[in-house]
Amino acid sequence: MADFMTGGNSPLISTLRNIILKWAPLFVLASLVLLFPIFEWLEDFQRGKDHIYLIDSRFFSIRNASRIAVAATPGLMVAIGVTFIIIMGSIDLSMEGTVSVSAVIFAFVFIALGGTLASWAWLAIPVALVVGGIMGFINGVIHVMFRVPSFMVSLAMGFVGTGFALVLTGGDRIRVEDELFRSLLTVRWLNFPIMCYVALLALLVAWFIQSRTTLGRNFYAVGGGEELAIASGLNVSRVRIMGFTLAGIFFALGALMAVGRIGIAETATGNNFMFISITAVVVGGTALWGGIGGVLNTLVGVLIVNVINNGMVVIGLPNWLQDGVLGVLVITAVVLSTNRKTISFVK
Amino acid sequence: MSFIKKFIEAETLSRRNFLLAGAYGISGAAAMRMFGPSPIMAATYSDPTIAWSYRNRTNPYWNEIVSGGEAFVESLGKSKDFLTHLINEGSSEKSLADVKALLAKTNGELALAIDTNDAPNARPVVEACVDAGAYVSTLWNKTDDLHPWDFGDHYVSHMSWSDEGPAEQTARILLEAIGGKGGVVHLGGIASNNPAIERLDGLKNALKDYPDVELLDAQPADWDTQKANQVMQGFITRYGDEISGVHCANDTIGYGVLEALRAEGMDIPIVTYDGNPQAVDLVAQGKILATVFTNPHWGGGITASLAYHAAVGHFKPSEEPHEHREFYGPTIFITPDDALEFKANYLENVPTYDWTDFWGPSNGQIMYK
Repeated sequence: MADFMTGGNSPLISTLRNIILKWAPLFVLASLVLLFPIFEWLEDFQRGKDHIYLIDSRFFSIRNASRIAVAATPGLMVAIGVTFIIIMGSIDLSMEGTVSVSAVIFAFVFIALGGTLASWAWLAIPVALVVGGIMGFINGVIHVMFRVPSFMVSLAMGFVGTGFALVLTGGDRIRVEDELFRSLLTVRWLNFPIMCYVALLALLVAWFIQSRTTLGRNFYAVGGGEELAIASGLNVSRVRIMGFTLAGIFFALGALMAVGRIGIAETATGNNFMFISITAVVVGGTALWGGIGGVLNTLVGVLIVNVINNGMVVIGLPNWLQDGVLGVLVITAVVLSTNRKTISFVK
Repeated sequence: MSFIKKFIEAETLSRRNFLLAGAYGISGAAAMRMFGPSPIMAATYSDPTIAWSYRNRTNPYWNEIVSGGEAFVESLGKSKDFLTHLINEGSSEKSLADVKALLAKTNGELALAIDTNDAPNARPVVEACVDAGAYVSTLWNKTDDLHPWDFGDHYVSHMSWSDEGPAEQTARILLEAIGGKGGVVHLGGIASNNPAIERLDGLKNALKDYPDVELLDAQPADWDTQKANQVMQGFITRYGDEISGVHCANDTIGYGVLEALRAEGMDIPIVTYDGNPQAVDLVAQGKILATVFTNPHWGGGITASLAYHAAVGHFKPSEEPHEHREFYGPTIFITPDDALEFKANYLENVPTYDWTDFWGPSNGQIMYK
C-alpha cells in the first residue's frame, strides 16, 4: 500500500518512511513475541530454575499460539469488517450491537430448528449473516441518504442493536450445546482448533474482495479522494452502502465465532469488540482518514492486541495495565502513521 | 362614552375580586392543612400503597427481586398491578425524586421497599419517608451510620448480604476437593465492586487453614464471560498443570472458565457464586462443584412485606430487637448432591412463602467492620 503514501521532503526520505511504515506493525509484533519470553526467563533466573530462552518458554509455545489464535478469531472478523469502512475514511461503531443481535438471533434460530448442525439448524448460520448484513445496510442507507456522519449513525445503531438483543433475550443467556457446532473449538487440526482455519478462510475472502474486486478497489478510491472518485463517475453512495453491508456481514461472522468459542449467546456477547477492533485496525497501520492499509494489516493488528493481552497475564502483570499499554500503543501508531506534511489541519 | 368607561371599571373590579378570591382559596386551604392532623401522629394505615423502587427489570437479578414483591402483593389477595414500580435506571437523583413524588401523591400512606441505588442516597430517602409518615424498608444500599432503630417505627428494616462468608465456604469445598494441596487461581469481578472484594477475601480467609495450597494468581474478569475466558487462557499458559482448582467470583465468570478448560481438555474443579439456573444445571452435571444462591425472590417479597405489615400495624418495629431491623439475607449452598432437589424446589416451582415469617430464612444481624 506504500504507493498511496506521497508527500514529504525528498523522494529518498519519503521512500524510507514508507518502508518503515509498511513494516512497523509486523516489527512490533515480532518484538512483542520475543519480549515476553525474556520476562519469563528473568523470573525463572531469579528463582534459580534452569531456563533456556524461547525453548523453555511457556508463552513461546505452539499450545499458547493456539490459545492466542482462539482468543483472536472473533475480534479478527469484526476488525476485518471495520477495516473496509475505515479504508473508505468513514467509521463504523455499531459492532457491539450487531454482534449481540446476530449472536442472539443465531442461537434462537439454531435451537428452534433442531439445535444441531446435522439438522436444518445449519440455516441459522446464513440467517445470522443476513441479520448482520441488514444492520449494516441500515447504517449505510441512513448515513448516505440522510447525510448523517457515519460515526453517529453507527454508534446509535449499535445502541439500538444492544437494546434489541436485550428485548429478545430478556437478559437471559442462551446456551448452544451442539457438539458439532462446538467442534469449532474442540476439534483440532495440527494443534489449532477448526475456528482458526475458518477465520483464515474468511481473511482470504476479505483479502480477495479488497484487492481483486471492483468493490474493494472502490473502497480505496473513496477513501483516497472522494471528490476525485465522484468526478470519475463513481457512484460513491452505492459503494458506501455496500461497504457498510459487507462490514455487517463480517460482524455477524465475528458473532458466530464468539458463540463458537464460549457456547453462549447473550446481550453481552458484543461487549468490548469496539475497543479491540478499532485498536487492532489502527495499530495494524490502517490510517483513520482512509485510503491506506488493508485486511492483512488488520491481521497483524489483531495479533498485536491479543499477544499483549495474553502476554501480560503470562508474565503476571496486573490486568488493568493491559488497557493502558494498548492505549499508548494506539496513540503511538497514529502518530507514526500520520504524515503531518500533507495534512493542513486536524479536526 | 361614559358607559364604556363604566363597563371597563366594573370588569376590572370583578376580575380583581376573582383573583383575590382565588388566591385566598389556595392559601386558605394550605393554612387549614397546617392545623390538620399531623401525618406522624397517624401511625398506621388500613390500606397503604405498596411500592418497590429499583434499577430496572431487564436485569435478571432485579427481575427476581420484583417478582417476589409481586408475589407478596398477590398473597394479600390483590392483583399484582397493585404494586407500584418506581424505576430509577441507575440514577440516585431519580430514585429520590420518584419517592418524593409518590409520598406527595399518597399523602404518606405508603409502604415502600427500595434499593436506593447508592449508599449515600439512603439517608435522604429514609428521612423523606419518615417526615411524611410513610414506612420504608431498604435493601442492599445504605451507609454504615444509618440505622432503622434511630428512626422509631417508620424506617422498618434493612437487608443486605455479606459475600465473604459464603465465598469462604465455597472456597473450602474447592480446597477439600483438591485434597488440600496444589495451586488455585481466582477470577474476580470489577476490581472496585464491593462483592468482588468480599468474594476474594472469602477465598483468602479459607486459604489460611490450607497452608499447602498456593493462591497462584487473582485477576479481575469484570463479571464477563468472554473476559474470563481470555484471563483463564492466560492462567493456563502461565501456570499450566500447577492449577488444581479455580475460584470464580460469579457464575458468569465460571462459564468462561469452563470453556477455556474444555478447549484445553482440562478437567479441574471450579466453584462459582449466585446460583443462576444454568449454573445450577452445571452443578447437577458435576461440571461446577458448588455455587451459592441468595434467593432474590424472597428478598424482594419480604422487604415489601415488612414495610406493609409495619404500615398496617401488624407489628411495631421499635419493639423488635436490632437483629430484626438490620439483617443478612439468606444464602443457600448448591452442590452436586442437592442441585436437582434445589432446582425442583426453587427454580422450576417458585415456592409459596409465608410472607409474615419475616426473619425465618434470614442470616443474623449485620456486622460492621
